[in-house]
Order: sequence, then C-alpha cells, then structure tokens
Amino acid sequence: MLKVDHASVYFKTRDGKTVHALDRVSLAIPENSLIVALGASGCGKSTLLNAIAGFLPLSEGTITLDGRPVTSPGADRGVVFQKDTLLPWKTVIDNVALGLKFAGVPKSVRRERAERLLHLVGLKDFAAAFPYELSGGMRQRVGIARALATEPAVLLMDEPFGALDSLTREQMQELLVSIWKETHTRIFFITHSIEEALFLGTQVVVMSPRPGRIVARFDLDFVRRFAETGDVRAVKTSPEFANLREEIRDILHGSEELRSAAE
Amino acid sequence: MSDFTETGRVVIGSPAEHPKLVKMKGFGAGDRPTVLISIATALVLLGAWWLVAKLALVPHLFLPTPQEVWTQVGAIYNDGYAGASLYEHVSASLFRIVTAAAIATIVGIPVGLLMGLNRWVKGVLDTPIEFYWPLPPLAYLPLMIIWLGIGETSKVTLLVLAMFAPICLSAQAGVRSLPIERVNAARTLGARPWHILISIVLPSALPEILTGLRIALGIGWGTLVAAELIASTRGIGYMIMSASQFLATDVVFVGIGIIAACAFSFSAAIRILEAVLVPWKGKS
Repeated sequence: MLKVDHASVYFKTRDGKTVHALDRVSLAIPENSLIVALGASGCGKSTLLNAIAGFLPLSEGTITLDGRPVTSPGADRGVVFQKDTLLPWKTVIDNVALGLKFAGVPKSVRRERAERLLHLVGLKDFAAAFPYELSGGMRQRVGIARALATEPAVLLMDEPFGALDSLTREQMQELLVSIWKETHTRIFFITHSIEEALFLGTQVVVMSPRPGRIVARFDLDFVRRFAETGDVRAVKTSPEFANLREEIRDILHGSEELRSAAE
Repeated sequence: MSDFTETGRVVIGSPAEHPKLVKMKGFGAGDRPTVLISIATALVLLGAWWLVAKLALVPHLFLPTPQEVWTQVGAIYNDGYAGASLYEHVSASLFRIVTAAAIATIVGIPVGLLMGLNRWVKGVLDTPIEFYWPLPPLAYLPLMIIWLGIGETSKVTLLVLAMFAPICLSAQAGVRSLPIERVNAARTLGARPWHILISIVLPSALPEILTGLRIALGIGWGTLVAAELIASTRGIGYMIMSASQFLATDVVFVGIGIIAACAFSFSAAIRILEAVLVPWKGKS
C-alpha cells in the first residue's frame, strides 16, 4: 500500500509570499488500483506525483510505501514522464533494460525480460530500433515498458499521453488498461482530461488549485467493465459516463469561479 | 453535428483534381549536395594560380607554378629537407599534436563534466581557465621555453594548454544542455551517482565534446606551426621556416599543403567519429 498522509508542499516566492502547491492531501493507492488525479494546471497534481516519486521533499505530512517512508527516487516507484526521456544513444531494448542494468542483473536475463515487456506493449519488432526512429506514441510505450522492467510497486504516470494526438491517445489508454490487467501493477495517473480520468480510474480524485487540494473523489468501475468486456464504445457512451463527465466538469468550473470570485 | 436540419449539397473534390503542392522556399543551401561546386571551385583556383605563375604576373621567386611545387614534393619525399626526411618532419609534428590532444582530452573531459556538475569545482577552476584561455598561446610560449626548455616538453605543454580550454568548456556546456528529466528518469530506475555520470551525463555531453575536440584540433594546428617556427629542429613548421630563409617558395608551398592535408584529415576523422558515436545528434 502506498499512503500519502496530510502531505503539504509550500514554496516561498521571491516577494516573500508563501504558495501552497499542495495542501494537506491524503490518498491511498491500494493493490490492483488505478488512481487518477484530475485537475487544471497548477492544481498540484504534478507536485503530488513528484513528491511520491521522491523528487520533491514534503513541507509537512508523510508518504509511505509498504510502511517505509519515501525520501528519494527509487526503482520501487516507476515513473512515466510526459516528455519522453529515453536515451537516444541506446536501442529500444537497451532502454527498456536500463533499470535492470543499474540493478546489476546479468545481460541474458535483462534481455529476456525486456523482450517480454516489449511484447506486452506491442513493440517486439522494434527492439533494435533507436528512439528517434519511433513515433511519439511508440516512444511512450517504450517508456512504460522501461518503467515496468524493475517491477515497481507502483507506476507513476505524469500526463503520459498529453502530447499525443487523440486517436493515438485512445489506443494508448486501452493498451494501458490491458497492461494494468496483465501485470496487476498499481498505477497513479495524472491528467487534465475528464474523459481519460473517467475511463481509466478505479478512483478519480479531483483537484483544485491555490491551494492545491482534493475537492472530490469518485470510485468508478468503468475501467473494470472495459477490462472484462473490451467494449470501449459501450463504456464511453453509457449514460452514467456522460452524467459523471458533466458532474466533474461542474466541480472543476465551480472551483475555478470560486477562485476568481475570491480574488 | 446533429444541429443540421437540412442537408445542402456537399461538394467533395474529385480524386482526379490534384491538390496544388505549395513548396516552401528555404533560405539555406537546402539538401542538394554541394560537393561538385566545391570541387569546381578548387579547380578554378588551381587554374588561376597556374595562369598567374605562367604569365609571370608575379615574380617567379615569389610564386612558383603548380608543377614546380609538385616536383618539389617528390624531391623532398626522396631526399628530405633541412637535415631530416619528410617522414621525420611530419611524424615530429603529428607526435606533438596527437600527444597533446590525448592529454587535453583525458584531463579536459572529466574536469569539464565536474565543473558542470559541482559548484565548488566550477568556482575554483573558473578563475584560472577564464584568465588564461583568451590569451594567444604564442604570448606565453616564451614562458614555456624559459621554464621547460626548447625540447618536446615545452611544445607539448603549450599545445595541451591551447587545446584544454575548448574541450573543457564544451564538456561543461554539454552538461548544461542535459535535460533534467533524463537524470530524474535514471534516478527512478535506481541509478546511483556513478551510473548517472557514466551512463547519462557523459553520453549526453558527447556531441558538444566532439565539437569542442574539433575546435581544439584547429587551434592545435595553428599553435603547433607557430611553436615550431620559433624553437625546433624537426617538424613541418620548422621546414617552412628554414625554407623561407632561403626564399625556397616552392618548399613553403609544400609545407602549407601538408599542414592543410593533415588538418583536413583530422577534421574528417572527427566527422566519422561523430557519425559512429552520436548518430542521434539533432534527432531527438
């Protein structure tokens, strides 16, 4: 279990004001869950992910993974970034095996495991290619395979599909669900797309800026329904899906209006 | 789209109509090869030289014809010049520049990387490097000779100093251009500081380092010849210097040609090195 308990992050701006990037956020990422944080820019969702990844120290509160406090980045928390961070001088398979290489896994073992992961993300024919020969969607798939290679306890995804076109994006969402179903990896996913959040999340936490905090939580079963039936259209066109989309849109816009009223 | 109550005639262009292709006008050389233009230019220049020498527009003592220079190449190759064979002159120069380049690279890359990564290393080393590197090497050559004598040590040291700065500064620039996400990604994959330095920072800085190495070699050739002009008994620079004292203009031309050929091959070697080591440069 990954637990975020009353996590706060304060920044001091140059003119001496304190900005609450994250204000007493609590969250649990249990086994088999896909938690999606949804919100506009500046709502603290990236700050939260960076804190869980260990890039950013908390001002207050704690983050624990299976009881141990998180203090620095580590291979037990895989991260998929929005910008592709593959090493351009390594082939696809060597990129996927990078974490295993750092861990000192012998070459034959890491090749075999990397090949299995490339098969999982549908890129087994591209093992010898270089990242610059791949499209944006394919590079993100390599990024996912690379993050999964060290078998992390949780996979953190920072708007991984934000830079992709909408068709590729939908394919990637479906691929992610099949990976999640197959590997049983816990996933923490952040996005600013309501549709994406509803489709992917077993739980969606809606966040609001200044201070960055959670304003609503929804436990959903759309993703499980899709995982069982494989029917995207039935899920996305269901009345519940449409109603929830409107409800969340109202929450996001409402918090936006409140904020401008306060200013 | 369900707002449409009546459907108007929808005109779709027939496939027979080819869409107009609008070609952007570039501002640069474009992607067409320029090799032929360069070769033609070389031939024109060679022809102009031949014509000027043949018509004796310039006194023959100052400008020999291309044939005479070519004959002189053969003569120097067979008999040597100024007490040493051509091979000895060329290998003396090559030894100096290759040794100096190796030392400057081995010291310059780690120092540059550390300066890019560590505030203290940068703070301490910035002062001497920023002070000495804009100086023309010939300005401190007398000091090298006073301190180290007129042997190989002073020449190689001079070259190392001249070549160190561009390599070191380019390694530093390479570290600065490293995207922080790449380092963060490596840390989430369990990389230790040592892994990050060897597997992430060094390869990321490699394109800049190779550019720095190319600049360093250019500076190196210039400095080397100047150093050999002043204190030497071997080397291409020395050969040119002694030839000029006897107004053997054709030998001077041969010397210049050899330097040009050497510098060109070094540059080509770095280009090959770039194609092998950093084929991804500018593509990610």
